[in-house]
Amino acid sequence: MKRYMLRRILFSIFSLLVVIIAVMLLVYKLIPRSSIFQMDDVWNKKSLNDRVMYEYAQYQKFGYLDYADYTAFLKSKYEGKYGSDYTKQADFKADKDAIQDENSYLENESVKEFMALYKNKGYEPNYLTPQRSPSGKAKKGGDGYLVAVREKSVFLRLWNYLTHLITVETTADVQDPALTERYVRVEHDPYSGLFAVVGSGTTHKYLLYFDNRFPFIHQNWLHLNLGTSFTKFRGQEMTDVIHRPTGEQIKTVTQYPAKLGTDETINSAIDFHSLTYNSNPRTKTEMKQFPDQYTTYSYRLSGLSMIENSFVIGLIATFLAYLFGLPLGIQMARHKEGLGDKIGNAYIIFIMAVPSLAYIFLFATIGTTIFNLPYKFANAEIKILGYVLPTVSLALRDIGNLMKWMRRYMIDQMNSDYVKFARAEGMSEKEIYRKHISPNAMIYLVHGIPGTILGCLTGAIITERVYAVPGVGGLLTNAINGYDNGIIVGCTVFYTTLSIVSVILGDLLLARCDPRISLSSGRGGGR
Amino acid sequence: MSEKNKARQENLFRFIDKDTIQSEKITAPRYSYWASVFRVFFRKKINIFLICVFVLLLLCAFIIPAIEPYRPYENITDAKTFNLSPQAAWNYFGGFSVKWLLGSGPMGNPIFLGIMASARTSLMLAVICAAINMTIGIIMGAVWGYSRRFDQVMLVIYNIIANVPYILLISVLVYVIGAGFWSFIFALTVTGWLGISYFFRTQVLIIRDREYSLASRCLGTPIPRMITKNILPFLTSVIVTLLATELPRYISMEVFLSYIGVGLSAEVPSLGRMIQEAQSAFMVYPWEFWPPVAIAAAITIILYVLGQNLADASDPRTHM
Repeated sequence: MKRYMLRRILFSIFSLLVVIIAVMLLVYKLIPRSSIFQMDDVWNKKSLNDRVMYEYAQYQKFGYLDYADYTAFLKSKYEGKYGSDYTKQADFKADKDAIQDENSYLENESVKEFMALYKNKGYEPNYLTPQRSPSGKAKKGGDGYLVAVREKSVFLRLWNYLTHLITVETTADVQDPALTERYVRVEHDPYSGLFAVVGSGTTHKYLLYFDNRFPFIHQNWLHLNLGTSFTKFRGQEMTDVIHRPTGEQIKTVTQYPAKLGTDETINSAIDFHSLTYNSNPRTKTEMKQFPDQYTTYSYRLSGLSMIENSFVIGLIATFLAYLFGLPLGIQMARHKEGLGDKIGNAYIIFIMAVPSLAYIFLFATIGTTIFNLPYKFANAEIKILGYVLPTVSLALRDIGNLMKWMRRYMIDQMNSDYVKFARAEGMSEKEIYRKHISPNAMIYLVHGIPGTILGCLTGAIITERVYAVPGVGGLLTNAINGYDNGIIVGCTVFYTTLSIVSVILGDLLLARCDPRISLSSGRGGGR
Repeated sequence: MSEKNKARQENLFRFIDKDTIQSEKITAPRYSYWASVFRVFFRKKINIFLICVFVLLLLCAFIIPAIEPYRPYENITDAKTFNLSPQAAWNYFGGFSVKWLLGSGPMGNPIFLGIMASARTSLMLAVICAAINMTIGIIMGAVWGYSRRFDQVMLVIYNIIANVPYILLISVLVYVIGAGFWSFIFALTVTGWLGISYFFRTQVLIIRDREYSLASRCLGTPIPRMITKNILPFLTSVIVTLLATELPRYISMEVFLSYIGVGLSAEVPSLGRMIQEAQSAFMVYPWEFWPPVAIAAAITIILYVLGQNLADASDPRTHM
């Protein structure tokens, strides 16, 4: 069994890698990269060579390529030589202007050095010829540039992605020579009254701490970097995007770190557990408020994060679906061809056949007109009511699905020999259904349970969009429409991992519920 | 008396010669599989009713756009024609007309003609996609299930492709090859057959190792013959069931994809696009939203119910 699981996990990791490669190929090679400039105002304003340079900068940011600019190369070269006022030096100026002459730029020593350096690294030099108007002056944006460009190969990209997937904060994270004291230690935490792991030199001050918010213990030590957003959530990591709380600030009476122990309190929503290092010198007020350079903070917000919203709605809907769907399916099978069965079948056909968009709007109309429930999530005056319609819409669909399968499997089992035996033994119908048919029919459904629960983490795209729930359902589609490559890759990795994990968990659960099934048999369990 | 009777009885009977040709004939009625399927199918009155409705819908969807083409921008310059309820549209365009039966849309476009043209797109899309996916899926599935070596390779491929989010795949493809009708079909079918194939592979696996198949293999039946004569006939009802869920699925899928913004291009009229355009104001202009929804729902339900009933009828156990 252990060997089987090991093989299975290794294979899962392999297919995950292939999926990442496939998605990277799709995203970075198939979609024309110039499409990222469709909505870009800066790109529209720039012209000629300036525009090309801007494109290179953006391509690098979006992860298409690496490029090196000759001017930046000169900067690093002469800064080391002359210090910060290198721009005034004559040889820097001469080297800088050399590339404005397309006929002689190759004779310049620095240019040769630049070319040689980056050719060794596998870069391709690209000279942008100066664009001049007939009078001989450079056109607007027509200055000459020299760059070296390297396309990122898929494997390099994959390697970068994997090596940055999980990062651990260490005391060497802050690269500020002014910081002398570097440590990680357990301290008394004045904000929770308990203890906390506090770091100095790490990005976050509090690495492990307790507070009064679910799940009460939090950490800033390990970070999962699934992908960075470029367009919609400028520069934020995907995990932060889906995890950041929304809603209004919750103000509490608290104290600045430097004022602890005094009686100077403030009524603020600042979450002092979220302090991160800020290498800019502290302002005068900050000097009074903070004892150290950890001065950047975020606020406590009342709402749930995107993923929590989706998960709460999905989980309650799943719970309701099993609570109602299974017994209804059993009853339909017991009274097959009866009135209840016919109504149930009509409902199943309705859910199966009608596009989900249509019935979600139908439920929305019924809910808002008859039950007077809030239509849009954000408009709910009582917050909890905003969750009702999305949850019910999801649950009604899942109930239909579960009813269908439960009824089908129950009917299949009802014709089995063991049921005839049980009947011949004189067991009551109720007992046969409860003790024999239902558990056997459930075996088929057990496999899908982990998938259903984990699937809630991916959100429900249409439901969330119709009711304007801030959830994760639309994350992937929005990313695709906005060319947000980092999020696309991140979403794929997230979804793929969830699906692989749920299949493995489903198999384990199945083997647990049905002793006849052995996963590690020679036939590989897939038969 | 008895003598007379006896003589009469002897007169009633006569000897006939043994007819070897006649004795070879089977007197039981000939069994035809498909005739029995349709006999059972048409026994249910609901099926006849649904077929009539469906044929009517088909005729409307193909004839009306041919007679009166749908031109969404014909009234674009006249802002007074925008978002008119049916009553208002009749008043504006001079009395009742079929064209303005369901009012007008956000660009003064006739909703009725719009849904008819869209229904045609959806129906064609569903039939073409289902035909392509089912054909490739079943052929590949049969080979996949039958050959053990092929099975190992295909399982790896399936596990990988099934994990790439299909929204991503379709939107990238639609982006690369364009969003026209045929490129959309290509996007839906390029990996769409794989799911059908996988489902079918499992069914073939079950039948492959049955005793009669084993016996047939021992007798040296070649593989193509095994697949076409031993396995596929057994799976007819499975194929029909699959068809019953596949056909409506593409209509739902088009609606869904258009709603999230990866659907057909703007010049192809489609139910999904109509629903998507009307959904933001579905409380204010209900005549723009509910008709396309109703048509999409009607087509899918009819196809689904007909397909399910045909699948029931295609099971030989019901041919009593």
